[in-house]
Amino acid sequence: MNALDLLSPIGVTIALLPEVVLTAWIMVVLLVIAWRHERVEDSYLAGWLSLVGVGLAGVAVAVLWLGGAAPAGVPYMVALDGFRYGADAVILLVAASTILLSLRYVDRQRLLAPEYHLLVLLATDGMLFLAGAEDMIVLFLGLELMSVAVYVLAGFDRFRRSSAEAALKYFLIGAFASAFLLYGIALVYGATGETNLVRIGERLASAPLSVLAGLGLGLLLIGFGFKVAAVPFHMWAPDVYDGAPTPIAGFMATGVKTAAFAALVRVLLEAFPTATAVWQPVVAALALTTIILGNTVALAQQSVKRMLAYSSIAHAGYVLVAVWAGTTLGAGAVCFYLFAYSVTTLASFGILASIEHVGSRTVLVDDLEGLYSVRPGAALALSICLLSLLGFPGTLGFIGKWYLIAAAVSEGQYILPVVMVIGTLVSAGYYLPVIMSMTMKPTRSLEAHRQVRFSWAARAAVAVAVAMILVFGVWPTGPLTTALKSAETLGRGTPAVLTGHR
Amino acid sequence: MSAFLAAIGYERWILQALLAVPLIGMALVIMSPKEWARVTALVVALFEFVVSLGILWVFDPDKPGLQFVTRVAWLPQFGVSYYVGLDGLSIFMVLLSTSLMPLLVWGSWHQIDFKQRGFYALLLALKTGMLGVFVAMDLFLFYCFWELLLIPMFFIIGIWGSGNRRYASEKFFIYTFSGSLLMLVAIVAMVWIVGQQTGTYSFAYDYLLAHADLLRPQAPWLFTAFALAFAVKVPVFPFHTWLPDAHGEAPTAGSVDLAVILLKMGTYGFLRFAIPFFPAFALSPAVTAVVVTLAVTGIIYGALVSMVQPDLKRVVAYSSVSHLGFVILGIWAATVQSVQGAIMVMIAHGLSTGALFFLVGMLYERRHTRLIADFGGVARVAPLLATAFSITAFASIGLPGLNGFVGEFLVLLGSFGRFPIATLIATTVVIFAAAYLLWAIQRVFYNPLANPENETIRDLGARELAVVIPLVAAMVWMGLYPQPILRRTEAAARHYVELARPHIAPGPGAAAGPVAEAR
Repeated sequence: MNALDLLSPIGVTIALLPEVVLTAWIMVVLLVIAWRHERVEDSYLAGWLSLVGVGLAGVAVAVLWLGGAAPAGVPYMVALDGFRYGADAVILLVAASTILLSLRYVDRQRLLAPEYHLLVLLATDGMLFLAGAEDMIVLFLGLELMSVAVYVLAGFDRFRRSSAEAALKYFLIGAFASAFLLYGIALVYGATGETNLVRIGERLASAPLSVLAGLGLGLLLIGFGFKVAAVPFHMWAPDVYDGAPTPIAGFMATGVKTAAFAALVRVLLEAFPTATAVWQPVVAALALTTIILGNTVALAQQSVKRMLAYSSIAHAGYVLVAVWAGTTLGAGAVCFYLFAYSVTTLASFGILASIEHVGSRTVLVDDLEGLYSVRPGAALALSICLLSLLGFPGTLGFIGKWYLIAAAVSEGQYILPVVMVIGTLVSAGYYLPVIMSMTMKPTRSLEAHRQVRFSWAARAAVAVAVAMILVFGVWPTGPLTTALKSAETLGRGTPAVLTGHR
Repeated sequence: MSAFLAAIGYERWILQALLAVPLIGMALVIMSPKEWARVTALVVALFEFVVSLGILWVFDPDKPGLQFVTRVAWLPQFGVSYYVGLDGLSIFMVLLSTSLMPLLVWGSWHQIDFKQRGFYALLLALKTGMLGVFVAMDLFLFYCFWELLLIPMFFIIGIWGSGNRRYASEKFFIYTFSGSLLMLVAIVAMVWIVGQQTGTYSFAYDYLLAHADLLRPQAPWLFTAFALAFAVKVPVFPFHTWLPDAHGEAPTAGSVDLAVILLKMGTYGFLRFAIPFFPAFALSPAVTAVVVTLAVTGIIYGALVSMVQPDLKRVVAYSSVSHLGFVILGIWAATVQSVQGAIMVMIAHGLSTGALFFLVGMLYERRHTRLIADFGGVARVAPLLATAFSITAFASIGLPGLNGFVGEFLVLLGSFGRFPIATLIATTVVIFAAAYLLWAIQRVFYNPLANPENETIRDLGARELAVVIPLVAAMVWMGLYPQPILRRTEAAARHYVELARPHIAPGPGAAAGPVAEAR
């Protein structure tokens, strides 16, 4: 399956196999739920069907990846490289876990409506497009497909004000961000006459960066900044995560972020590799403020979900440190860290979702007191997740953090890694109290945690995630090699003039 | 014996076994029924101890380099390997750690009365981490072990500690974590700097050491990052504030493990990594002045603060600050005597402070208080306890004939040539040490038996004697016949001195030349 002609219909269809398969499956699910949407079981059915769809898309990604498909010449519209597949794999993993964690959650919280799972699928489809986009237009389409589905999901709990507020806030700010992005695309198009990332890179390489293209780049960065929730574009994140159904908060913190980061890295490395002098300081500043603010504000949070929201902002800052490097190593680190972070964060949100009381959305740190003595498994799993977020050796998070540091240090950058480890230190101040609350404080009442129930689907998702955190934390060779290799293929088909200079 | 050990390939598997046995034991403890947890832990600990003894025979004292080396690629693309070995710097820390294990389990026998499985499992996990720190010869591996043992200690203090345990455990965690994070950046940077110039990216200790010259331009901040991590752990004077809390609140086993092994990881780190990698900067006059000032301040300060502590456990805790100041002084003096003395102090402090913590723990089990004021005249009802405590205290003070004397004397002797004034000041601490410990002994054991609650204190039982007697015997033996230890550490100390010597600016007493003859 080599040298696909991306201008022929067949070629494009093959190149878009995961997206095509998923879209087709979405139609199937849509038909099924149009016909059956009244009973509780229908919601479960939609969930399981959606899971099958994610699996099929996964198979399609594997086919492309193992088949080694490559574009003939410049990749039009869609990328065919390991970086896309790596990001796709993370996104599909996130989607599958989200569905598994949601199955019982929507039932328990009385959010029953089979469309829930369909929307997750649609968002996933958008993420796949976003991560694979080789053209600004495809990128924007993917972003919108993803965002619109997630707007609806954020407000899915229609009986609660906070959920409606979350949806509206996310929608308004998201639309704002999309406008920035679109304007940026337009300016870059104006400056280069191209929408294809590789072509833009070629055009920009031949002459110094024009003001128009520079402005476009800046607007693009702002747009992406909103989507990955980098400071100062993060304001929406805590409220939205807090108001959205918990598994969706996890989905947003991981899937949306992964897709947006994948697209950001691709845009910067393929379209603007010659403009590092312009975007590196901006990314560095974003990383600094994001790490510092995310971590310090997280310290003040009483609600575990809000704490995780701010911590996810801080983690976006860590990823930006590797984005700053602008190298293959950096892209590999981004890829790996997104994997590590997604697995860990999703598992944490999954555990929280099961701990939540019916009808209530907040879990305070104090609510977790003595969880270990009643539900040792859940307490242990959450502790492991938090330690992984903290970047403790023996967990996936440590390997990821180490990789990020290596990416920055390899470019002679020491300030960002040092700020990053200081941020990590601060983060110990809010991860540890949660662990201490669960293990070291007595249970408030005997009944406190009795009603915590894990459905077996959620249990399986969390168990797999925790196993991954520990196993890959000790033997990370497999994912590390994959991440590095996938980053090496980034921009395959790009003329050597561009890739050779770094 | 040696022939037998060689025949079973002891040298090849022992370190792996020492690291793996506690982990297997941990699994066994978790799976065993609640009332069998401590028995399982004891069996595992005894097994580990017996197996580790072979090291004494197989270890070749004349070889300066690493022995018992095993090296397997771990993350080959990134130059990380599972690389372990032993030399004179680490052999006794490993042996101390393994021989302490059964005593720790035994010492916690009745004290730990809830969540026993968790406690013994964590105690075993802690052991793997500690042994790993001393045998790891790959910096990535070293860092992993270094951080890993924080978690068991954090839980041991936080769950089974006394009164203010949560505060103490969080403080312990954050202090030590803050020190080591910068070390992570420094390690990555070192590997990168060396790799960029030699083309090989490797975390192996000896590879980096061989190319330490390349690190010279970056030495100031790299050294600072390492030194911070180690200084917090030691703890060197201004970084010590976590120690009294952690020691004070931890259960006995936790305090003992902290005192005997954890603190030594810091001084070991200086000896193994911080100074050999950056000798020119670390031993430059400015840095030396700062470190020696801090060390001497710590020696005096620890002793003075110790004197006024109302809590017996805190008396012992602050005395650690004082003792470890000697180790730092000896390391920076960089003569064979002072370095060997420093290693001796590390071992001696481990034995005597460990024993003191055990004894304080035993007192606490009887009276549920550690305040000195609550006691008085205990010697009358518990003569064995009083005797053991007194002998241990004498060892800690540095009475000739007991183990504390040998190390401190060697440090003072070896350092005098380099830092005469600092050494003179440090010497005075012997008076303070006598003051705080003897005063404490007097108030606890010998004043009139005024408080009726003290009349019912039991004397040491058989189990407790089994904990105390080996420790006391080791103290006496080390004090009278330190030769076996000195002989095994000499080659490593000499190696370290040779490495450091060229970088020492000739000071007032540079003529400390032929150091070995003095012994």
